[in-house]
Amino acid sequence: MSAATAPAQTEKTTPVVMTKPRSKTRLTTSLTLNVVLILGSVLMVMPFVWMIVTSLKSPAELALADPTFFPSTWEWSNYPEAMKAAPFLLYFKNSFLIAIGHTAITLALGSMAGYSLARLPFRGREVIFMGFLAMLMIPTYTKIVPQFLLVKFMPLFGGNDIFGQGGSGWLNTWWALIIPGGLTASSVFLFRQFYTSLPKELEEAARLDGLNEFRIYLQIYTPLMKPALATVGLLTFQESWNNFLWPLLVTTSDSLRVIQVGLAVFRQLESTSWSFLMAGTTLATVPMVILFLFCQRYFVQGFANAGIK
Amino acid sequence: MVAPGALWLGFWVALPVVATFILSMTDYNVFNAPKFIGLDNYIHVWNDPVFHKATWNTVVYTFWTVPVSMAIAVVIAVALNQKLRAQSWYRAAFFLPQVTATVAIAMVWLWIYNPQQGLLNNALAIVGIPGHAWLESTDTALWAVSLVGVWQGIGMKMLIYIAALQNVDEALYEAASIDGASTVRKFWSITLPMLKPATFFVFVISIIGAFQVFDQVYVLTDGGPANSTTMMTYEVYRSAFQNFKMGLACAQSVFLFAFLLVMTVISRRMTKGDES
Repeated sequence: MSAATAPAQTEKTTPVVMTKPRSKTRLTTSLTLNVVLILGSVLMVMPFVWMIVTSLKSPAELALADPTFFPSTWEWSNYPEAMKAAPFLLYFKNSFLIAIGHTAITLALGSMAGYSLARLPFRGREVIFMGFLAMLMIPTYTKIVPQFLLVKFMPLFGGNDIFGQGGSGWLNTWWALIIPGGLTASSVFLFRQFYTSLPKELEEAARLDGLNEFRIYLQIYTPLMKPALATVGLLTFQESWNNFLWPLLVTTSDSLRVIQVGLAVFRQLESTSWSFLMAGTTLATVPMVILFLFCQRYFVQGFANAGIK
Repeated sequence: MVAPGALWLGFWVALPVVATFILSMTDYNVFNAPKFIGLDNYIHVWNDPVFHKATWNTVVYTFWTVPVSMAIAVVIAVALNQKLRAQSWYRAAFFLPQVTATVAIAMVWLWIYNPQQGLLNNALAIVGIPGHAWLESTDTALWAVSLVGVWQGIGMKMLIYIAALQNVDEALYEAASIDGASTVRKFWSITLPMLKPATFFVFVISIIGAFQVFDQVYVLTDGGPANSTTMMTYEVYRSAFQNFKMGLACAQSVFLFAFLLVMTVISRRMTKGDES
């Protein structure tokens, strides 16, 4: 349901109305705007600042009756200490591998499906497209129990017999972490929107040149879609990195834990220190923050495309 | 070429949905074979006071977070639509919570809400407001969870509004300026009406998102105190993965699905009626 309708939005530039920088009212308006926006952004960013300053305080300082905002001594050693208290680097690596896996599957299968739905006239296309649309509407919680059961009773895996009985199936395996969430209906949908917006002349010319359909997809259209691939890829990576419920359900062993689950488990340990916990949280947040700051354009385009009619 | 994707989603999405409806009519604990019990699960859910509480909490959470963050988002979007020097920085700041993991964010808020060392109580102390154990009291826990939802939800809505504002005809504002309309007047008479389609869209996807709130409840309150922050999703999770009542969990998720479906259909109707 997160994606909806209509062809891809081409970037539009607002017509810039040239007005002379006149009058006091204009100045006060821009001043008020800036003040409001600065206050707002400070409120938005404050929790992140609080997270980082906490991660650099000593446990003794955190226990003070009169708490400080900035650390009196900056304890950079909290980070190596936190990694000793819990294998955050391993969690980090697991999350990364899964996110890469999801992104690769989505880019390959999602773009193929999106391309066919957009450009290939075949029988039953409308029906299949309606199917994808319907799947967009399905909330996670309406499929999570059977998904879990499918994973648990996966035949011939994890000690299961051919009927899926007797073992643990895909539970506690990379399969469970990567395969079920590898493709989403919304990414297929986004891809379809992007491919629909490309001109038809290209494929006609390519067909005259004798290229087969798969090569038209791979060599003609997909290279034109690099921004779209980046957008869908980043959204997939982000969703996967931030996912919590599914890895929580299908893994119990520490070696397969993803960073979000690792954090939640670390918190439940009795001796959890807030500075270590915030150090771990910083590790769980920083990759997305960096990715976002560097690829803001694609994120914005992605969300706006999913959003606007 | 559509086949791999269609089969993949068919197996991992379509099949589970069908299975949910079938399982919802069984008594099933994973270990023994499922037993058909008709509509018993539904009757149980219908009469279950905890699920009533969860439904009510979900509705309160949704109808508090969605409009509040929408209102903030539209104001910010309009402000950001002006030509400002630090525009992209502001936009990044408001959007940042959207791209970061809810679990990580909730962890930070847990620490912000900490009664002794937390940022909130200490900030309130500066202006002379007495602190509170926000997450431990049945009066405030749901509001504390909702505040996190509002804070995190602004970015996405803002972005959709910004995109929608790009399509508003600049000439309308010029005409209004010539007629001597004030900034506030222009906002109410031009901007908001022009944003109507975007507003409906944001409303629908936000409701669908808010109804599925889970991660922050898991981290912040674990549904407590005294079920004051449990949600429909949280009850599905508890029934299925803590009490191993798979059939019951499926019935609960069907209720959740029905709620969302009704909500979507109502919103669609409203949008359609508006367009004609």
